[in-house]
Amino acid sequence: MNISLRSYIIGFVTSIALTLGAYALVVSDALARAETLTVIVVLALLQIAVQLVCFLHLGAETDRWRGATFGFAALMTAIVIGGSLWIMSNLNERMMQMTPSEVEHYMADQS
Amino acid sequence: MIENKTTLGFWTYIMSDCLLFASLFATYAVLQGNTYGGPSARELFDLPFVLTETLILLTSSFTAGLALLAAHAGKRSQMLAWLGATLVLGVTFIGLEVSEFTALASEGNGWWRSGFLSSYFTLVGTHGAHVAAGSLWLIVLMTQVARTGLTERMMTRLTSWSLFWHFLDVVWIGIFTFVYLFGALM
Repeated sequence: MNISLRSYIIGFVTSIALTLGAYALVVSDALARAETLTVIVVLALLQIAVQLVCFLHLGAETDRWRGATFGFAALMTAIVIGGSLWIMSNLNERMMQMTPSEVEHYMADQS
Repeated sequence: MIENKTTLGFWTYIMSDCLLFASLFATYAVLQGNTYGGPSARELFDLPFVLTETLILLTSSFTAGLALLAAHAGKRSQMLAWLGATLVLGVTFIGLEVSEFTALASEGNGWWRSGFLSSYFTLVGTHGAHVAAGSLWLIVLMTQVARTGLTERMMTRLTSWSLFWHFLDVVWIGIFTFVYLFGALM
């Protein structure tokens, strides 16, 4: 078995384990919600890392460009997602908390 | 994998596609609670079904890898066999997802129903469209290789395609976790 085949098999088996683990954790209700959410996020990040290395062969190249572009894209992704959540959460706090029907009444009252 | 300017360029494209999905994920995260009186993720999502989809797509990523290994070893028939398996799995995934979407839409829970459903259909639908495009690309590649053989150019194309296909499974990990598993918990 050559190195690459082993890489794909390890990646595949590990990914299955991480997928089933996260699924089982959610379905079994074993932990409290906050803990479950944290654990499945960690499992997801692990699986992403495993697939990046084992399937996409990140880090195996002779030059450093793939790693560098990945690092930059990862940073941009973190900013886009994290930044959006931060901004929207901030805006949400500053809004009047109305239900959809309250919004409709408010809008109707404007005319 | 083959490292040349073309595959590095394609890798850079994949990174830009990451940003597209990042914004769709961010939108979904903001809107997932906006059910507008309609059903929520917990009520709508069928986890066993999604697990099946996940394992199918994951296996297709594995078979794609095996196909590229065969290609590097010059084993054309073996490569075509693994690519065929990948195509079957990919098309199955799309079929399952289409059935999921049509079921939701026919119940009135389409993308028009709420902000939550708009962002859900956009995120998951965009991923599905990528898988469909990748499947079409695969058919074209398989046809080309069957005719022209494993030339250097074909190897570069196959490598680029495989980057695309593996990337889609990475994105799906995010969807599986942040859309479906989170949905079942919130």
